[in-house]
Amino acid sequence: MTSAVPTRHLLLVAAAFVLLAFLAPNGVLAQAQQYERPVEVAPQQETIGGGYVTPDVQRPRAREYWLEILDVVLLAVAMGFAVWLVLSRRNRKWALTLTVACLGYFGFYRQGCICPIGSIQNVALSIADPGYKIPMVVTAVFFMPLVVALFFGRAFCGGVCPLGAMQELVILKPVQVPRKLDDALGLLKYGYLGVAILLAVQPAIARDFVICRFDPFVSFFRREGFAHMMFIGAGFLVLGTVVGRPYCRYLCPYGGLLSWCSRLAKRGVTITPHKELDCGLCANACPYGAIEKNRAVRKECLYCARCYASCPCETNPQAAV
Amino acid sequence: MTRDRQQAAARAGKRIAAAIVAAGAAIMIADYTAARMHVLGDARRIAELQRQTQSDASFAPKLAAEQDRITRVRRARRARSRSLAVLLIAASSAFVASAKWLVVLDGTRLVVRIIPLASLRARPVSPSAVAEKPSAPTPPTPELDLTFVTRVVEKEGRSKEAAIPILQAIQSHYRYLPDEALKRVCELTDVTPAQIAGTSSFYARFRRSPVGEHVVRVCHGTACHVSGARQITEELRRHLRIPDGADTDPARMFTLDEVACLGCCSLAPVLMVDDHTSGRLTPAAAAAALNIVHQTQPA
Amino acid sequence: MSDGLTRREVLIRVARGTVLVGFGSTAGFLIEKADGQVVWQVDASRCANSRLGEAGAEVCNLCTTECVVQQSAVRAVNNFRECGRCSICPAYFNIKSAVDEKGLPSEKACPRDAIERRAIGLVDPADPANNFYEYTIDEEKCDGCGICVRGCREPLGLGSIVLKVRHDRCVGCNRCAISIACPKTALARTPVTAALEPTLARQAAR
Repeated sequence: MTSAVPTRHLLLVAAAFVLLAFLAPNGVLAQAQQYERPVEVAPQQETIGGGYVTPDVQRPRAREYWLEILDVVLLAVAMGFAVWLVLSRRNRKWALTLTVACLGYFGFYRQGCICPIGSIQNVALSIADPGYKIPMVVTAVFFMPLVVALFFGRAFCGGVCPLGAMQELVILKPVQVPRKLDDALGLLKYGYLGVAILLAVQPAIARDFVICRFDPFVSFFRREGFAHMMFIGAGFLVLGTVVGRPYCRYLCPYGGLLSWCSRLAKRGVTITPHKELDCGLCANACPYGAIEKNRAVRKECLYCARCYASCPCETNPQAAV
Repeated sequence: MTRDRQQAAARAGKRIAAAIVAAGAAIMIADYTAARMHVLGDARRIAELQRQTQSDASFAPKLAAEQDRITRVRRARRARSRSLAVLLIAASSAFVASAKWLVVLDGTRLVVRIIPLASLRARPVSPSAVAEKPSAPTPPTPELDLTFVTRVVEKEGRSKEAAIPILQAIQSHYRYLPDEALKRVCELTDVTPAQIAGTSSFYARFRRSPVGEHVVRVCHGTACHVSGARQITEELRRHLRIPDGADTDPARMFTLDEVACLGCCSLAPVLMVDDHTSGRLTPAAAAAALNIVHQTQPA
Repeated sequence: MSDGLTRREVLIRVARGTVLVGFGSTAGFLIEKADGQVVWQVDASRCANSRLGEAGAEVCNLCTTECVVQQSAVRAVNNFRECGRCSICPAYFNIKSAVDEKGLPSEKACPRDAIERRAIGLVDPADPANNFYEYTIDEEKCDGCGICVRGCREPLGLGSIVLKVRHDRCVGCNRCAISIACPKTALARTPVTAALEPTLARQAAR
């Protein structure tokens, strides 16, 4: 074997030179004759001489670990800000600014990766398959919004999620979906979650990450992608002008998990009962049908703070006598 | 008016952006379809050239050229679609922004609750429907027909106790208490002018000045007050050119009334034009609500 | 302790605690299992541009054209231990181009001019064809089109240049666009330690 290789190489080199002679008869042939060192083995530094030191093997630059940590830290900070701005300051303008900033960073700059929605599949696969390992960052990104939801509700949806932000920004004249239809459509996301997990834990040959495959907005973040996904994304945006955040409410599998966690939330967006003024302006302002009988429903609330922005008591405190 | 100009600007922006989006999307789709269609042909041509090159080396430059061409085309398409995507994103943002602006200017903001609100929302009334409405109370004319006063006084009696029923009858007949009619009542009955003046100014139901053909009631309840009922009233006064101190426009078409609560705070700020309720108003939308009821603009 | 708490509140607290413990233990399990970074990587022994015994002048530049990142996250790297340091490097020169007055091909192979050529060792100016040269690929310029990889492929070269994924550029999509497009399924997710060693997989395959 070892002796066969150089012989074969020599033959092949010769063949190649003959081939080249056909291609460029005037030049290359002449070179081939003066070229006394056919390539067989790599010369090492003792052959080369002249004090030459072989440099290190060229390696592709690794992603700086601190940059990955930065994503996690930014996610945590953004969620913290969302909770503070919405629950304490009740300020829609700043909450919206935060959303747009996160759309810029997590959406258009980081191009939609890494996202907790897609990481459902990796986490599920990693639990099911002992050989499949996921980085710590993915674990953190997956669990942090859930833990926040356990205490404060779906701050991730309103404050950070770039997919949500896209839909949040296009809302024009939202209609309130009738409660029964809303509930029925809301079940879709659990079905989607089940299918996504089922397909993700398959053995490698049959495995498919459907959430990422059918992510409607990632092609916008990357300014390219499959045409049909761009169409579906555009469709969601058009639908989103009249139905508030259709993907989040009816399809997002991570929304399903967050919705369950936020049922146990300690605090959340609350519509304080008011003796004189139970006016219901907040219920009219909510495009997501998250205010029922003038009280916020935590599992539906997407932290947009529209209710506070439209509340007479909030916007004009001295009038609320 | 600046608001009209703003609306026109927003509408123009919306249209231009929509056109750009449509054109960009069309180009992108065409580009994509063309590229998809070329893929198979390219692969076949490359495979063919590779086969030929293996048997005859003179095909090699052709193969290399073909490969170069395919790479160039692919790269160019990528660059094209990327810049197009940036344009599309910018145009869609402009579209959404101008559409939102328009929504704010049009004054139909917040959420539409399909079912319950449909009955509450201001319905456009056709001019013919307005015309058909029985116009029982004739607009007050300079020469007032006072025979009605005589009839009422004969029916109700001349005692002081009859004062309120007489005033009610006059109010419902003329839709206000004309000074001439009150004078006539004083002449015909025992009621003194001072008593008439006291009674007619005490009750809110009695009006001393002529009323317009349509009554506009602007709610000044708490919820409407805090969501800008004051601004709406002022805008309506400006729009109808109602002089200070008066409540009816010179053409006696509309009478502006501030009421305590219309009982639909969830629609604040609210006004009623006769029997039609319009909610979630902005000053501009309030003026528009009047036009819905009556197409003719006051002079 | 639970004075003033309704039954509902107590139940919610218990449920929240349980879910938290569940999350904590799952996260702990996953982190304990975690092995640094797991990254996409090109398997050089499968890649059509560098694989041994690949017949014909097959072209594949899907790494450049398919990657979702602006300038593809794939780049070529040179393993200096295996590099032949040829004077007329088939990866550096377009060896089909006309010869200039120095006896070298007049055109470079790299369309982005990303390869740097430097004479090393005991340089004999009189005999440039038989000196040793070091070829370094500029990470910033390279976009992984694979022309140099094909040039260096055996038999003309020693196959020291292979394609690798730059992890600082790679966004790490679950459905890597290159891996979907790759005709040889050469892209796979591997632990970062193995991925950084450029020609490891090739050597193993040899």
